[in-house]
Amino acid sequence: METKPSNGSPAKFVDQLVVPGDVILDLSTMAEQTIKLGGGLRQDCDAISVIKAGILRFSKPNKYWVESSQKRYVPCAEDSVLGIVVDCKPDNFLVDIKGPSVAFLPVLAFEGGTRRNIPRFEAGTLIYVRVVKANTGMNPELSCVDVLETLGKKLPFEIAVGLNGRVWVNAGSPSIVIVVGNAIMKSESLTKVQQKIMAEKLLQRVQQE
Amino acid sequence: MMMETDRKDGRTPNQPRMLSCSRNILHRAHGSASWSRGETKVLAAVYGPKAGTKKNEDPEKACIEVIWKPKTGQIGKAEKECEMIMKKTIQSICLLTVNPNTTTSVVVQVVNDDGALLPCAINAACAALVDAGIPMKHLAVAICCCVAEEGSVVLDPTKLEEQQMRGFAYLVFPNSALSALPKGSSLVDGEPLEHGIITSVTHGVMSVDEYLRCVGRGRAACAKLSDVLRRSLQKSE
Repeated sequence: METKPSNGSPAKFVDQLVVPGDVILDLSTMAEQTIKLGGGLRQDCDAISVIKAGILRFSKPNKYWVESSQKRYVPCAEDSVLGIVVDCKPDNFLVDIKGPSVAFLPVLAFEGGTRRNIPRFEAGTLIYVRVVKANTGMNPELSCVDVLETLGKKLPFEIAVGLNGRVWVNAGSPSIVIVVGNAIMKSESLTKVQQKIMAEKLLQRVQQE
Repeated sequence: MMMETDRKDGRTPNQPRMLSCSRNILHRAHGSASWSRGETKVLAAVYGPKAGTKKNEDPEKACIEVIWKPKTGQIGKAEKECEMIMKKTIQSICLLTVNPNTTTSVVVQVVNDDGALLPCAINAACAALVDAGIPMKHLAVAICCCVAEEGSVVLDPTKLEEQQMRGFAYLVFPNSALSALPKGSSLVDGEPLEHGIITSVTHGVMSVDEYLRCVGRGRAACAKLSDVLRRSLQKSE
């Protein structure tokens, strides 16, 4: 018989690769505990099983999730994303956020929005929004966020990073936009230390010009 | 000794060919994988989930679409049959209720066919689905077992061997899963989950006993294949 994990201690598969079909927790041994499940896990009667391959993570006190890298975005509530307006309806804008379905942005979901001052977005407008609701089977609902943070110590540029894989960069001159874009693309597979070194080298090259 | 067949490439009857598997090879696809067994090689790409389902498909579930591309020639009935078999296999391992009213496309490109093509394609498609993050109940591992003239069971034939055998079976099993549950609690009808057959396609003539022996050997080979798959996923994470 395998030894069961005692109540209160994390499952023995934490920080290991799990594949669909693995059962990571047996709920019948953990009575009267609340467990939060993040992405990649689902409850199957008394067992928590994995539905996406990845590393199982645990954060105290009681949250489990599977960390994996994917190209397709899955809408989650409280995510900030960049969307492109596809269509305008009387009550909603239809926005493409690179997920399984088109999202709705209510016409009134803006700061100080009333029926009188509805913003006019053409199809193709890029907007930075927050996902309010994202239930499976329903189109996600969005809401407009206010001010963007300006990052950058030496280069003046604006950036908006969406959790759906889209990044928007704006700067005074095209060369700065290109440098920032390249820095982001190159740093995908680097560690933090390597990223800093790469960014500094790029900055040196820009300042020499 | 009468049951042992000497194979042309020197393998024992129970020895499958060299396996190589890689994921995330196509940059524009949402998930991709290539799977090769000896000279047989298949490339699979997954796109989706995309909004909307095809006509005549249930909008309450996700729809799976398989497109089979042969190495040469036009798409005919044999390719359509492979598409249908793969679609049914994938539908049974994916969780279709997580993303209702969406379509996920799986494109299978045959790079080279040297026997046991359909199991290779199923393994490639499963790895590509994992790469794309499509929610699944468990993985599928496939193998080809054939029955020689004198009744012995041979695993993973080459094309030449496939043509010479009396009959062969493509078998697909669920992968062996790690479990925090105590042993014995997740049995289905008294047998562990990985003993169940997801798909079985047979060609040729074989007796019931021979088929059951194929299933037994195939199951054992798939358990090992399951471990190899898990380790290959580990390397790429």
